[in-house]
Amino acid sequence: MTDSPECAAGGIAVTRRVVLGAGASAVAGPALLKGHHVHAQPVPTPSGIENPLLLSFTVNGSSLELDIDARASLLDVLRERLGLTGTKKGCDHGQCGACTVHIDGRTRLSCLTLAAKMNGRQLTTIEGLSDGDTLHPMQTAFVDHDALQCGYCTPGQIMSAVACVRQGYASSPESIRDFMSGNICRCGAYVGIVAAVAAANSSEG
Amino acid sequence: MSRQPFPDLARIDAFDKVQGKTKYSSDVPFPDLLHAMTVPATIGKGMVTSIDVEHALAVPGVVRVLTPHDTPPPPPGPQGSPPPPPMLVHAIAYRGQPVALVVAETLEAAIEGAEAVRVSYALEPFAVRFEDADAGREDTESPTFGDADAAFATATTRIEAIYTTTANHHNPMELLSTTAVWAGGRLTIYEGTQGSNGLKNTVAQLLQIDRSMVDVISPQIGGGFGQRGEVPRHTAVVAQAARLLRRPVKLVMPRNQIFHNSRFRPHVQHAIKLGADANGKMISAHYDCLQQNSRRGRYRSDWYHAGPCKVYGIENYRGTSGDLRLDTHGPAQMRAPYEHPSAFAFESAVDELAFALGRDPVEFRLAHDTKIDASTGKRLTSRHLNECLTRGAEQFGWTGRPVQPGTLKAADGTMAGWGVGAGVYQAAMHPAIATLRVSANGVTRYASAGHEMGQGMRTAIAQVLIAGLRIDPARLTILIGDTTVAPQHSTAGSWGTASSVPVAVAAAEKMTAALAELLDGRKVAGNMHEQLARLRRPFIEIEVSMVAPGQGPEHLERLKTGGMAIAGLHGTYPDFTALSYIAHFVEVHVEPHTRRIRVPRVVSVADCGRVISPRTARSQVQGGVVWALGAALREISETDPRYGGWLNADIAEYHVSVNADIGKIDVSFIDEPDFDANSAGVKGIGEIAMVGAAAALANGVFHATGRRLRTLPIRVEHLI
Ligand code: FES
Ligand code: FES
Repeated sequence: MTDSPECAAGGIAVTRRVVLGAGASAVAGPALLKGHHVHAQPVPTPSGIENPLLLSFTVNGSSLELDIDARASLLDVLRERLGLTGTKKGCDHGQCGACTVHIDGRTRLSCLTLAAKMNGRQLTTIEGLSDGDTLHPMQTAFVDHDALQCGYCTPGQIMSAVACVRQGYASSPESIRDFMSGNICRCGAYVGIVAAVAAANSSEG
Repeated sequence: MSRQPFPDLARIDAFDKVQGKTKYSSDVPFPDLLHAMTVPATIGKGMVTSIDVEHALAVPGVVRVLTPHDTPPPPPGPQGSPPPPPMLVHAIAYRGQPVALVVAETLEAAIEGAEAVRVSYALEPFAVRFEDADAGREDTESPTFGDADAAFATATTRIEAIYTTTANHHNPMELLSTTAVWAGGRLTIYEGTQGSNGLKNTVAQLLQIDRSMVDVISPQIGGGFGQRGEVPRHTAVVAQAARLLRRPVKLVMPRNQIFHNSRFRPHVQHAIKLGADANGKMISAHYDCLQQNSRRGRYRSDWYHAGPCKVYGIENYRGTSGDLRLDTHGPAQMRAPYEHPSAFAFESAVDELAFALGRDPVEFRLAHDTKIDASTGKRLTSRHLNECLTRGAEQFGWTGRPVQPGTLKAADGTMAGWGVGAGVYQAAMHPAIATLRVSANGVTRYASAGHEMGQGMRTAIAQVLIAGLRIDPARLTILIGDTTVAPQHSTAGSWGTASSVPVAVAAAEKMTAALAELLDGRKVAGNMHEQLARLRRPFIEIEVSMVAPGQGPEHLERLKTGGMAIAGLHGTYPDFTALSYIAHFVEVHVEPHTRRIRVPRVVSVADCGRVISPRTARSQVQGGVVWALGAALREISETDPRYGGWLNADIAEYHVSVNADIGKIDVSFIDEPDFDANSAGVKGIGEIAMVGAAAALANGVFHATGRRLRTLPIRVEHLI
C-alpha cells in the first residue's frame, strides 16, 4: 500500500532541502517550500490577502509552507495556490464528495475544511496516490472497470474508495454502495465504481 | 471497414482521469490570474434601480466591479437570427440573473466583494409555478396525420390519461466556469462547453470583435448533458472583465447560482388518448403536450412528438402542443430532452392500453413492429426494437410474468413488479473536417470536431484510428473541442460518434493510401512511423472532410463559420428515417410498510447501430439508466412562488441518484450497422440510453402495487 499519508509521495525519495529566497512572512513572494515537493506547483502569493496566516503542513509527503488567506478553504488553497487541481469542486458545500482528500489518513471534504486548520497535518490528495506512473491498485481498478465517464468526480471517488477498502467496508456490494454514497457521480458510473472497489478489495485481500 | 466487433479497449483518457491529471477548464493555471464572482439578482422580476459598489471596492483585493454600464448592449444579430443573450442589464427577468461581476486578486476577496455589493430594485409581479401562469397557452403546430378523431371513435378499447413530468436540472459535477485570457490582441476562452464554435461566435458578437480573434478551448468537460450546449450569460462578461483589466479572469459559478442561470428541463403536462381496434392494434393516438417556457424562450413545444409519432406505426395521429410562459431563465435541452418526458408519458399510456386489452406489454409492443415512419411515410432504415424487446425479455426472465398487478412477492415479503419501456431517438450527424498527421518520430496527431464530456468520443475515435492504422497507440493525440485545431460543431443530440467516427475512418483510409503511394510498391518494414523514418519522411499529413446524407458543400461552409449543420433531425433524411432504439426492463420492489421503492435490477438492450467503443457505450447506457431512475424517483426542481427562481437550488436538496440507489444494470447491444445513416453504421447512444426507462419503472410500480402513478418523480408519499 502506498496510500497512507506517511508515505503518500508514493515511495519517491523526498530530498529534504530548504528553498531559500523568500522570508517566511513574505506576503507577495512565492509560497515558501520546505522540502522538495513532488506534486504541488505553488503560484506566487497574490496581493490583497487579508489577515494572512502562515500555514505549514505536509502535502503528499512533502512539507510545505505558505501564506494563506485566513478565510480560504483547503480546497481553494490546493487548487488556486498549490496547483493541485486534481481535487475537484463540485458544490463547495459538502454535498458531493468531489473534493475528498485524506487528512491524517482519514477522508475529509476539503471544501468544508478551513486551510488554516491544516497546520501540522498530513494531507494526501489524488496526486499523491500513485507512485509515479505506477497507479495505486484502486486507480487501476477504476480504469479496468470503467468506473468513470467525465472523470470529474473520479479523484474524490478514488480517495473514498481507498478508505472504503482500508476501513473494511468493501466486503459486499451493499456495503460498498453505502460507503460510497457520499460521492455523487452525475455520469452515473456507479455500477463500475462498485465493481472497481470490490476488485481492488479482493486483489489486496 | 471490417464488420468484426470492436475490441473492449479501456477508455483512452481514463489513465489521466484516475490520477487527477486531466485538466478541466478551471484547472488551467495562468500567471497573474484574477478571480471573479457574480452578484445574483435577489428578486423574481423587475428593474435594477441602483448598484452601490463602494463597500465592495473597499474589500482588500477587489480590483473592479463590473455593472451593466461596463458591458455593451448586444448588437443586432444578422437578419432573422435572434440576438445573443445580453451581458449585464438592468432588466431582471428571473431570480439569480447576474447583476454585477466582482473581480479580485483572490477568490476569497471576490466572494466577500460580491456579498458587499448593494443592489436596489423596482419589483414587478412574476409567476414561476406552472399552475400560476398569468397568460394563456401559446399553441404550436404539431405533427398530425391520418384521422385520429375518426379512428378513436371506431376504437373498441380506449385509454385516456394525463401525465406530468416536472422540471429538472442537469447538474453535471463540474461547475460552470469561464477563464478569459487576452494576449497579443486575441481572446482565448477556457470553458467546458459542448459548443465551442457557438461560444466563439457569440462572445465575438457580444464584444463586437471579429470571430477570428476568439479561440475557445474545451478539451475535457466534467459532464455536459445539454447544460453546456448554449452560451451562458456570464461568459462574455468574464471576457469583458479580462479586456478591461488586461489580466486573465476566472469565474467558477457557485452551484446555487447555476440553478438559476443554466437551462433546465421544463415542467410538461402530457394528455394522451389511445385507441385500439378489435384485433388489439393501436389505430389512434392523440397527444397534447403543454410545457413551461420563459417569456421569450424559444425551446420548442412540438418536438415531444418526435418519438411517439414514429415508434409504433400508428396511422392516425393528432399532435398538439403549447407553452405557458413563466419568469425563469429559459428551458432548453437536457439529456433526451423531449424523448425522456414524452416516452414516460407515451410508454405509460401504451402499458395502460395493453393492460386494458389483457395483453402482455412486451408482446403488445412486439405486435406493433413497423418498417415505415408513419409521420412521413419514409422507410425506417433499421428498426431493431423488436430484437431489443425479445432479447431483453429473455435476459430479464420475463416469461411467466403474471399479468395481474400485486401478485409478485420478493422473498422478504416485499411487493415486486416488472415493467418494460421502449424508446427511440434520432440518428443525426453533422459535417466534419479532420486532419491526421503520422510522424516518423512515433507521434500521431488527429484533429477534428467534437467535445469530450465523458461519453467517450476520444475513445471511439481512437478505436477506428488504431484499427485502421499501424501506429503507436500510446503516442496518439486526439484534439477535439478546440477551435484552434479544427472547425468545431456543437456536440449534442447523440450525433457525436456518428459525426466523428466516419470522418476518422476516412482519414485512416486516406492516410493508408498516401503511405502506399509513397511506398510505391517498395517493401519497407515496420509500422507507419518506422516506414516513414526509413523513407526519410518526417511525416505525412492529410485532410478529409465529410458531410451527412443529403448534405452538400454549403453544410461544410456552415461548419467552417461555426454554425449548426445537422442532418437527421428527428431521424429525418431526404430518403429515409434513421433512429436508435432501446428496450428497458426494470424490477421494482416496494417495501409494504414504508412504500420505499428500490430498483434491484435493470436490463437494457440498445440498437444504436454499430458499437464502436463497447466499454464507453456500455457506461453511457448505464449512466442513462441512472439518470432515468433519478428522474423517475427523485429529481424535481421546485420553483419558489414567494421570491422567484428555484427553491432547492443545490445538490443536497435536488436529489440525483447516489450509489446506494443503484442496483444491477445489465446492458447489451444489437450491434447491427446502419449504413444508410453513415459509412460507419453508427446511430448514437447517449440519449436513447435514458429514453423509456422512467416509464419502465412506473410500469413496474403499477405491476407491483396496482397503482398507476402518472407524475414524476414517484415518491413514497404517492404510494401511501
Ligand atoms: S466540493 Fe466538497 S463536497 Fe462538493
Ligand atoms: S464520472 Fe462524471 S461525474 Fe462521475
